[in-house]
Amino acid sequence: MVRRQNKLSKVLLSIVMILFAIYAAFPIVWMLICSFKQNDYIFAWPPKIIDESFGLRTYVRVLTDPVKLRFFLNSYIVSAAVVVLTLIIGIMAAYAFSRFDFPLKKAVNSIIVSVQAIPQICLLIPYMGIIVALQLFNTYWALILTYLVMTLPYCILMMTGYFNTLSKELDDSVRIDGGSRFRALWGVLVPISTPALVSVGLYTFMTAWNEYLFALVLTQTTNMRTIPIGINLLITEHNYDWSMMMSMSVLGSLPILILFLFFQKYFISGMSSGAIKG
Amino acid sequence: MATVELKHISKVFSNAEKKANKNIPAEATHAVSDFNLKIADKEFVVLVGPSGCGKSTTLRMIAGLEEITDGELYIDDVQVNDMEPKDRDIAMVFQNYALYPHMTVFDNIAFPLKLRKTPKEEIKKRVEEVAQILDITEYLKRKPKKLSGGQRQRVAIGRAIVREPKVLLMDEPLSNLDAKLRNQMRAEIIALRDKINTTFVYVTHDQTEAMTLGDRIVIMKDGFIQQVASPQDAFDHPANIFVAGFIGAPAMNFFPAKLERVGDEYYVQVEKLRVKLADEKCAKLAAKNVASQDITLGVRPSHIRVDQGGDELQGTIEVSEMMGTEVHLHVKHNDNVVVIIVPVAGSYEKYSKYLKHDQKVGFSFDGEACHVFDAEGKNLEA
Repeated sequence: MVRRQNKLSKVLLSIVMILFAIYAAFPIVWMLICSFKQNDYIFAWPPKIIDESFGLRTYVRVLTDPVKLRFFLNSYIVSAAVVVLTLIIGIMAAYAFSRFDFPLKKAVNSIIVSVQAIPQICLLIPYMGIIVALQLFNTYWALILTYLVMTLPYCILMMTGYFNTLSKELDDSVRIDGGSRFRALWGVLVPISTPALVSVGLYTFMTAWNEYLFALVLTQTTNMRTIPIGINLLITEHNYDWSMMMSMSVLGSLPILILFLFFQKYFISGMSSGAIKG
Repeated sequence: MATVELKHISKVFSNAEKKANKNIPAEATHAVSDFNLKIADKEFVVLVGPSGCGKSTTLRMIAGLEEITDGELYIDDVQVNDMEPKDRDIAMVFQNYALYPHMTVFDNIAFPLKLRKTPKEEIKKRVEEVAQILDITEYLKRKPKKLSGGQRQRVAIGRAIVREPKVLLMDEPLSNLDAKLRNQMRAEIIALRDKINTTFVYVTHDQTEAMTLGDRIVIMKDGFIQQVASPQDAFDHPANIFVAGFIGAPAMNFFPAKLERVGDEYYVQVEKLRVKLADEKCAKLAAKNVASQDITLGVRPSHIRVDQGGDELQGTIEVSEMMGTEVHLHVKHNDNVVVIIVPVAGSYEKYSKYLKHDQKVGFSFDGEACHVFDAEGKNLEA
């Protein structure tokens, strides 16, 4: 009786999970299918998964259009810069939080945390003012600097937590062996923090890659736009180019997908085991 | 090869330091007070004491990992108070090994040499030499996580000795090992000492390690040095009750007693038992003109005899621990528990009647075995 009940609950659970999976996957599948179709066929009735327009034509159109390619280039430049700067600044800040005590440490920490709690829309106008005042409007730096504000708190908090788990004797050991604190950080702590760095790096990349609001306001000319804005630009007064939007969305999602697949193994922690007794 | 001299060294932890380091107890401010010690070239000195006594802090000050609040520190007659750890030419072995987990054993040992830009050929030669001394040659290509605790500690020692430092500091290096391995590694450290010519400063809370390893031991409590002496001297002539109770296992027994002076002779009286102190002790006390007074009497467990008949002290056996060649009796005497070591090798039957639970037992001791401490706990002979 108990066994039959167990089996029944397992079946029910599976059905519910499958329904959720379909619900979650449907937009992605729809995006994929539409990206291979021509615009006129997308809303054809009855809908077909594969019709006569099915092919790579839209992708060719995107990849041969210098304006669209520029969107991708801009996104890559901004995202890569944000990841690199976030990690460099974040790692050093986290080291300071983890290893030193200094005046107002708690206050500074609270400010960093609270930045994340403020809705981004509230920061839009102040940032706009600052960026214009710094004469950075419509430049890569406008986006890079504002994205750093979004990504750094998470990076600092995560890395501080991770460094706290690493024995201070590692730093001491490097200093006695003849190295500096800088060497201890970059030569020992950072290499053994790969799992944390990968997850922080991915989060940072995703944040910068997907950001829409600031990219829309802080850039103006088409040659400075990033992919999310580029996709939106396809919606015009007279024409919605759905197939183009979908293929750009697919191409826009690919880097994140590839990064996830590539770095998956690093999520498995344990890199630091063996450093100290445990 | 170097001398180390600590002159009036003190360490006061600031609130910031206490906050930053959770290992520092909140109430601790004076971690080390007026520490004076001169360590000779190639000497093996052991700092020993209960946790929180300031021994590790002292070691970390020698290493340069902890700032010195007051006093002067000299290595080879050069004042090093403000010198960076890397410039002091010292090496340190940590309790938790502190190996670099992403590097192989070879790279771990080679790390200090690489930082000093030693030529590659030289690095290889020296790492292999050290690996041979420590018997870890076959593990050179492994990562630390593939090693056992004992092997890891050997790698840590290898990394410390590879650049032939002036002073080798060891901070409870055996504490993380199991009892058997600890004994083995202790013997290896003694053997290692003969192979490398360097000055050792070793920190431990284990008095057995201190006794077996050190040329001299420094017994500390609450940041103050209690006694600096050779292991035998600390055992035979403890400076105060704390040292007497800390050095030696099982610990010394203490009795409230009276010291009585009759001419140049001294007697101790515990209840009905009256014992004349040995001549040598009497001479020392007489020379210091010690008067009759209430004292704390200390007697080592191995110096107490059972069943003498007469005026001996009486007690009841609470616990009897068979150790093989001897039995440790825990005897309830008034409100105290007195530990008595009874040798039983070859004569077990003779003593077997005393080894039972709840058995009444009488015990006494000779004047040679008595250590007399005044009301402040100071050894009156010292």
